Amino acid sequence: MSMSYAVEFDEVSRSFGAVRAVDNVSIAIEEGTFFAMLGPSGSGKTTCLRLISGFERPNAGHVRIFGENSENLPPNRRPVNTVFQDYALFPHLNVRDNVAYGLMVQGVDKRSRHGRADEMLALVKLGDYGDRKPAQLSGGQRQRVALARALVNKPRVLLLDEPLGALDLKLREAMQDELKALQKQLGITFVFVTHDQGEALSMADRVAVFNDGRIVQAGSPEDIYQRPRTRFVADFVGSANVLSPALSQSAGSAKAWHSLRPESMELAKAESGRLAGTVASIRYIGPVKRVTVDLGGDQLTVAVPAERTVPEPGTRVGLNWSDASIHRMEDE
Amino acid sequence: MVASHQGLAQRVSDAFWRQPRLLLLVLLLPPLLWLGIVYVGSLFALLVQSFFSIDEFTGLINYEVTLKTYAELLQPANFDIILRTTLMAAAVTVAAAIVAFPIAYYAARYAKGPMKALFYLGVMLPLWSSYLVKVYAWKLILAKEGILNWMVEGIGASAVLNAVLSMPVIGGGSLSVSYIGTFLVFLYVWLPYMVLPVQAALERVPQNLLEASGDLGASPGQTLRHVILPLALPGIIAGSIFTFSLTLGDYIIPQIIGSSRLFIGQAVYAHQGTAGNIPLAAAFAVVPIVIMGFYLWMAKRKGAFDAL
Repeated sequence: MSMSYAVEFDEVSRSFGAVRAVDNVSIAIEEGTFFAMLGPSGSGKTTCLRLISGFERPNAGHVRIFGENSENLPPNRRPVNTVFQDYALFPHLNVRDNVAYGLMVQGVDKRSRHGRADEMLALVKLGDYGDRKPAQLSGGQRQRVALARALVNKPRVLLLDEPLGALDLKLREAMQDELKALQKQLGITFVFVTHDQGEALSMADRVAVFNDGRIVQAGSPEDIYQRPRTRFVADFVGSANVLSPALSQSAGSAKAWHSLRPESMELAKAESGRLAGTVASIRYIGPVKRVTVDLGGDQLTVAVPAERTVPEPGTRVGLNWSDASIHRMEDE
Repeated sequence: MVASHQGLAQRVSDAFWRQPRLLLLVLLLPPLLWLGIVYVGSLFALLVQSFFSIDEFTGLINYEVTLKTYAELLQPANFDIILRTTLMAAAVTVAAAIVAFPIAYYAARYAKGPMKALFYLGVMLPLWSSYLVKVYAWKLILAKEGILNWMVEGIGASAVLNAVLSMPVIGGGSLSVSYIGTFLVFLYVWLPYMVLPVQAALERVPQNLLEASGDLGASPGQTLRHVILPLALPGIIAGSIFTFSLTLGDYIIPQIIGSSRLFIGQAVYAHQGTAGNIPLAAAFAVVPIVIMGFYLWMAKRKGAFDAL
């Protein structure tokens, strides 16, 4: 109920037929944060975003926007704007009129709305593109137009639905930095939906991990990465090793599920490791080699700096890590 | 290894692959011949006729190029026919667009599965039966002793109908002998030609554009005006080309239903037949072509095709 929350979900559910897309979700998004909803496709994150924008209505529970119940507020009367996944630019309008659309429907006269639109276009570094049609722009440029169009109404919450999904890697990384800087500059709340854990961790102040319509874990990127609450989070965010209770016990930890980051482990001599096994395979991925070690059924992956030499597949090796880097998870 | 045993079909398809233009030529030649000779050729022959004139005394065609026949079109009796037909075509087109839009919108946005099949069936069904039968059926519906009159009497609204029928120009003795009747039957007969292109255009408007409009603060009415209508406009124009030109050229409906005053199609029919005045018939036939050309030019200038 506190006014410092931009968006609150209070035990919200939304079903489509027999499918519970959003299942009893509660979240509180503080004003001014960069909030990421992370999860695989079909996990309910986009439906949550649509519940905020008003394109979906909850079957149960309440969605509050700045403390106000929003159930009966149509999308056009909510203080939120959306950057759509495939941008949804109006093909019959030029870039300037696309950006000015929100002002036009409010009745702002042509001159001032075009002035404001040009300012927004300058903000997203597309100052010279006002007269073009969306079809004449590249994917990255369209993405910026969609951003400018959503920001022109000065929303208090900006919703972004996988906005970088259609861009190539380099452009995506550049846009991540720009979005983060823009959010700092504007000081408004960003709610960002993505299935890319790297994107969520690098940009967001807080991350909610979704699975099967529920939030499995919510916290700071560091929390999520270092202290995954469940096996799903450990595996989905950064592909951590998951140690079964039996394996944990044989490695000297409690008999419970544990997570262990590949980069927190080291290879050692077979007799001096906490666990010992056989090198099964080696994959080179840029800065690191990922060495998979077979422990007679269980497999664990160790990340080794690429310049280091590693034993050939088939060699017996030991595995070591510090007590601080192994993390106990809930038994789920 | 390249196969050495080549059949004729293989060699032909290889030749087409090496020379894509050859394939294009083979594909386009028959329709081009058809369009060029049978279609454009006969149209051109008609156009040429309109520049000749008829000798008023002998009734023979005078094969000298003149604009005399076109001047005849501007005589009040002939010009009335043009004006009447054009106004009717415009009224039918506007009404068809207004009636068709909600149907097309429903079909494009909401109808799914069996409902969509039912929609297509409902729209197309009238096109399957004979045009003449439908027009005569309408004559029975609209006649003074017809079912419509009976229903209007049944609900006690005869006074309203009589008031409408007593209006000058568009009124008449009964619906079946008034311009209103002609208009209703035109609207009925050409409506599918408006519904289908509008539905196709609306089908291509992505749902997320409507959401984006609402998200940016537009009311549903504003979304309709600023997003849906501009994007559906090419479909509406396509539909209006059908309804407008079909009404301009039709000569059966106004003959069966309506006042006995002539429409362009009837004038063409009369002049080329009994009167034997081919040049004037040709000149009349040119009128719809000119009107349609002008209409499309205006539509393009107003940006109706920008969303294509």
